[in-house]
Amino acid sequence: MTPVTVSGRQIRASGQIQTDMKVNLRHESTVAIALLVPAAVALLIFNYYPIFQTFIFSLFELDHTTDWLNAPFVGLQNYLAVIGSEQFWQSTRFTLGFTAVSVFLEFWVGMGLAVATFWVTPALRGLLRAIIIIPWAIPQIIQASMWKWMFNSDVGLIGDMLVRLGLVDSPPLFLVEPLLAMGSIVLAYVWKGSAITAIFLMGGLALVPQDLHEAATIDGAGAWRRFWAITFPLMTPTMLVTLLFRTMDALRVFDLVYGLTGGGPGTTTETLSSFAYKFYFRFVQFGQGSAYALVTFGLVVSISIYYVSRVQGKLRFRQ
Amino acid sequence: MKKRRVHLILSLLLAAGIAVFSLTPLYWMLITSFKRPGTEFRLPVEYWPSNFSLESYRVVLGSDFLVQRAILNSLIVSSTAMIGTLLLGALAAYAIARLKFRYKIQSLIAIQIAGMIPPIVVIAPTFVLIRTLGLLGTLAGMALPNMAYGIPLTTWLVASYFAGLPFELEDAARVDGAAPLTIFWKIMLPLAAPGLFSAGVIAFLGSWGEFMLAFTVGLGLPRVQTVPVAVLSYSQAFQLQWTWVSAGTVLSLLPVVILVLIFQKRVIRGLVAGAVQ
Repeated sequence: MTPVTVSGRQIRASGQIQTDMKVNLRHESTVAIALLVPAAVALLIFNYYPIFQTFIFSLFELDHTTDWLNAPFVGLQNYLAVIGSEQFWQSTRFTLGFTAVSVFLEFWVGMGLAVATFWVTPALRGLLRAIIIIPWAIPQIIQASMWKWMFNSDVGLIGDMLVRLGLVDSPPLFLVEPLLAMGSIVLAYVWKGSAITAIFLMGGLALVPQDLHEAATIDGAGAWRRFWAITFPLMTPTMLVTLLFRTMDALRVFDLVYGLTGGGPGTTTETLSSFAYKFYFRFVQFGQGSAYALVTFGLVVSISIYYVSRVQGKLRFRQ
Repeated sequence: MKKRRVHLILSLLLAAGIAVFSLTPLYWMLITSFKRPGTEFRLPVEYWPSNFSLESYRVVLGSDFLVQRAILNSLIVSSTAMIGTLLLGALAAYAIARLKFRYKIQSLIAIQIAGMIPPIVVIAPTFVLIRTLGLLGTLAGMALPNMAYGIPLTTWLVASYFAGLPFELEDAARVDGAAPLTIFWKIMLPLAAPGLFSAGVIAFLGSWGEFMLAFTVGLGLPRVQTVPVAVLSYSQAFQLQWTWVSAGTVLSLLPVVILVLIFQKRVIRGLVAGAVQ
């Protein structure tokens, strides 16, 4: 029996064991596939098959039914109806605008939070991280009711603060005025989103070698300059991955809108996801709802592919 | 010396500012929950309850709301989903991180893409599927899809943990003639325990906060409400009292906030591994 301390490389040097290894390799890939099958089955059932089924739904007229086998086939008509509706373009504009503004804000707020945890005296670091991570743990739909109460136009904390600070005469109608409602959703979303952004960016900051900073300090570079000249460029891969994750999360926002404004006032804060959901479970139009959902999916996929293809070169050097 | 004191004072100020930013909404819910029901609409707005009352907690724990049932439902759904996710995710992660086979990158990509599908794209067929299985209005109907939803991130986190472990032990066991599954169970899983743990907490929190599926599959039945669905229903209740909503929110957030604070370091490490590697 070979002693257990023999390392892999030494085994490969010996001829007899090498043939064993070849048999092992074929065996190894069988084992690998067997290990992957359970996860693959679960993902096929609950993630991949539904996309396919949604596509089939989208080709039929499904009025208060999901029985597509007995429903009239309408081809691409549902898609034409979606693209032809003013509501689609309105929710697309809002979803894209919301995504751009929210991701921008949460990135910089998150960056500020992450840098802060490194800048404060070491004794405070653990506490600060604990404080920062809390909003991340709160489910989005629960946040929606928290912020609804914060934005209450009579006795809400935010309106009352604005009045006390003398910025307004009476509390603004946050969830009634279209622009304020949009702003409220962004604020609530950024509050939670900046927490997870900060956590990701802390990871990137931790990778920046400390001696580079020390060298730059000796050369007389200030903290501001050190951040832009050393930290920021070295964090690029982390920042790009974070931005991708956050953009995809913002594009599919649903819970917050559903709980905070319900898409209102009118349909001004309706996102692609929340509107598709209405088609499914309020209007019970599964055909058109599916077309809506798939157009949403197409948008998310094309934005991610565009994004990944743009940043691929910058990510490669980490391999 | 003087510089250090200035840094300390500025640090405290900065930490206080961040605490205000992150904790104000929670403070507001906590304060509201201790006001006597009805007094939360009184002007001027009270930043500290003048009539301290636990009435709202009595109401949300009482037979009309039963917030404890929602918490229990969420615990059942999230822990079942988490165990399934960890098991399936760890098996797949081991194959990807440690075994040699063709189409490895392709498998990894296929698993990760599954995690990027927006919930709205899968919700309608999932609803139909759960109905076909006869699981509408049951906790199992929520746990099963959630188990699948957690797999991509879990596989990613656990695979990156496996990838960082030394090969020597595995090789030694193989030379001793141990079967791959034995190696996985007896050697790799115990070694990867810290990585599995963070991935588990993150997967648990993922299903804990999941709303669209729980709302759709639950059919509005109070019996199977999870925490997110329950809190939404409180804020839409007839004759709404915000003290009730606040008390329900505080109670239902307690388990996750405690969980996150206790395992803060591991959770952060797990999430960071997902973003950086």
